[in-house]
Amino acid sequence: MEFLKNPNYDFLGKTKILLGVSIALIVAGIAYISSRGVRYGVEFSGGTQLIATFQNRPEVDKVRAAVDKVTSGAVIQTYDEPSKNRVLIRLPHTGGEGDLSSSADAVLKSLATSYPENKVVDSSTEIVGPIVGAELRRKAIQLTVFGLLFQLLYIAFRFGGAVWGTAATIAVFHDVLITLGLLAIFGYEITLNVIAALLTLVGYSQNDTIVIFDRVRENLKQRRKEPLAKIINDSVNQTLSRTIISSGTTFLTVLALYLFGGEVLRGFAFAMVIGIIVGTYSTIYIASPIVVWWDNFRKRRRGAPAARAAL
Amino acid sequence: MPPALQNPFLLWFLLSVALAVLCYFTMRRELRVRATLYGSFLLACIVAMWPPYGKDDTPGKIHLGLDLKGGIHLVLQVVTDDALNATVDDAVSAARTQATAKGITVGAIHRLDATSFTVEGVEPARVKDMRDILHDYFRSPEWDLREPGEARFLVKMTDSYVNQVRDRTVKEAIRTLERRVNQLGVAEPIIAQHGARGDQILVQLPGVTDVEQAKRVISTTAQLSLQMVEDSAGSRESLLDKTQGKVPDNMEVVQGPGREPGQPEFYLVRKEAVITGRDLKNARAGVDGQTNSPDVNFSLNPVGADKFKRETGRSVGKRLAIVLDHSVISAPTIHSQIGAEGQITGRFSTQEADELAKNLRAGALPATLKYLQQLTVGASLGRDSIRQGIVAAGMGMAFLAIFMILYYRLSGVNAIVALAANLLILLGAMAYTGATLTLPGIAGVILTVGVGVDTNVLVFERIREELRNGKTVKAAINNGFDRVWMTILDTHATALIAAAFLFQFGTGPVKGFAVTLVMGLIANIFASYFVSRFIFEWVLGHRKAATLSI
Repeated sequence: MEFLKNPNYDFLGKTKILLGVSIALIVAGIAYISSRGVRYGVEFSGGTQLIATFQNRPEVDKVRAAVDKVTSGAVIQTYDEPSKNRVLIRLPHTGGEGDLSSSADAVLKSLATSYPENKVVDSSTEIVGPIVGAELRRKAIQLTVFGLLFQLLYIAFRFGGAVWGTAATIAVFHDVLITLGLLAIFGYEITLNVIAALLTLVGYSQNDTIVIFDRVRENLKQRRKEPLAKIINDSVNQTLSRTIISSGTTFLTVLALYLFGGEVLRGFAFAMVIGIIVGTYSTIYIASPIVVWWDNFRKRRRGAPAARAAL
Repeated sequence: MPPALQNPFLLWFLLSVALAVLCYFTMRRELRVRATLYGSFLLACIVAMWPPYGKDDTPGKIHLGLDLKGGIHLVLQVVTDDALNATVDDAVSAARTQATAKGITVGAIHRLDATSFTVEGVEPARVKDMRDILHDYFRSPEWDLREPGEARFLVKMTDSYVNQVRDRTVKEAIRTLERRVNQLGVAEPIIAQHGARGDQILVQLPGVTDVEQAKRVISTTAQLSLQMVEDSAGSRESLLDKTQGKVPDNMEVVQGPGREPGQPEFYLVRKEAVITGRDLKNARAGVDGQTNSPDVNFSLNPVGADKFKRETGRSVGKRLAIVLDHSVISAPTIHSQIGAEGQITGRFSTQEADELAKNLRAGALPATLKYLQQLTVGASLGRDSIRQGIVAAGMGMAFLAIFMILYYRLSGVNAIVALAANLLILLGAMAYTGATLTLPGIAGVILTVGVGVDTNVLVFERIREELRNGKTVKAAINNGFDRVWMTILDTHATALIAAAFLFQFGTGPVKGFAVTLVMGLIANIFASYFVSRFIFEWVLGHRKAATLSI
């Protein structure tokens, strides 16, 4: 079986339209985040998160009544599939440095007394003091930035030119921005797991870009006379089958994770699903055109094809 | 299984030999060595990971993280300033004692902040004597002595000493917590230094469901008691020999370090303590006048002194166990009746004596602990997570397997074998290194599978391309593998860079993700490149094929 035999599409010709789509998505994401803000997971924002498993289907109103008796500002929602009888309770604060869990304990106690007909059979809590939250936020940003920087350096080193590394990195930034925007729009929290997913898709998107750039490098050696744009377009075509199949298979696996992996991994899997689509697309429509533009730009300034040697 | 085969190394060796013999008789010459090496490596992985998950009595070889098993995860801040204050307070009282002993009149000696104290208003004629005392007691590299004004001294801890005290405080706190947690009987607890500045402690208690009890044990101050020793032995059985294996009603068995490091000693002690921590007034490390070895001097309050005098008077020649948090610190012999002041001698180093004194004084914790983070995972959520993780992994792999066979036919089978090898290596490596599998770790496994297939796809597509260009099967395969080698190295290197950064998130689920990702990526190069290539060569050799099912 084979989907594509000797494909020959003009990818780079359609760059401008798709660039518009990319910019629209990024702008929408940034606009949404700046007006509504991002929802941080409890590990970043600090506070208390309680997941209570009830004996029977819990009535959210009654849970809320019980929780409001002992604390304020709680967010209450059903968690996981309804059949699991789980409720997630978020409090913006902790019990204090001496005993972090006192407010969570108070909530559980109040549930036991004010909602006695439906017992809590099992509970999980995550309580994060404000210092840890702030520290982790700083660390997450630092790690993402340094992670990107190191990958840029690696690609620049491997391909012997900053253009390749820069192109791949801009593509990755594009992926991260779009994924973050979509995460915010679809109401997912930014948790540690999501950060892990973002860093992974950075690696994944680079991976995809490298495969095409490797092919470009190989072709450049054999076809010195031809314009760079054509070589890149051919390289994209030559690797297209691989791109589609391997993105497709990876997509299938993370889709399985999204569908069957459970509530805890939902945000992680969502980020991966989006990231793989965007990462594949950005290699073809963001990273490759940047190299071509750079080449054209240099040619115009110097009036010579010498630019290619620098690539 | 015969007992000899219980030894995993032997088992692996025998299996490998069997494999080598099999390869010798069934394979072509150029494949034998590789087949044996690859096969024996995979066998090692199977032996290392077996049994992967625990039954009721035997634990599995794959460690499950808190998020899968349920349990408690705590991050505590050690307020190391407490220990600095105490150090300076000790110094202040030492300086005062010395000044009084030498008859020097001093206006005031007081602590300035957490790391320094001043001596003011020294009588002018004795400034030199005071300087000598301070020089003697507060030398570099630990202390820095300055004279900011007439008859004034400023004594400050040096930065290196401050760091040393801070570090020691955290380590002491860790040891104390370890002692307390041991009472809970948790399998595989983690208690470790944590945080960027190293002044936090991470406590992980997998499988613990009673949060209340665990927190109570962690936060109780130490229980010190001095109990009379009836007997001691190297094992519990020989200790209870005389009493037919039963512990007498008024006795209990406590454990402590034995003569040889790593060997415990068991003590049969009277349940009723002679004195407890409440009777203690003070404790201080010192040097034994006769033997010149470090010891600990302690003083008791009047009630305690009375009790102690009575009991030690009756028991000269017997041994007295110093029991801290239910474990014996030392069991010295009572040489003479002891009253309000006593001495504990043992085989201490100066630092150990210092530590014991501090433990006795402060009820064992050298500094206050603040809770920074607390995570508890209920058993049912953990169970759901592991089930969903496995279902997701299984479904993902099933999708892949079906697709690969449809799309690449027999070569797809090759990819699936490589994938299985990849998983085996990943799990074997996790079992061997004791790495923890978390829920994001399972996601890492699934992702590894995806990336592994990517390697196969890269190679297969290249082989198809070479075949289209009219190459022979053999040349196509060789070219295919050779040409993508650099690409595969590059893609794995960038992914490894990303994973290395994830490691920085310390322990916890995300680290579990990074661990599986790193191991998976390395396993993948071996499985999807070398094993897969070997299978191609093996199968083609049999058929002298002119066509390839790809």
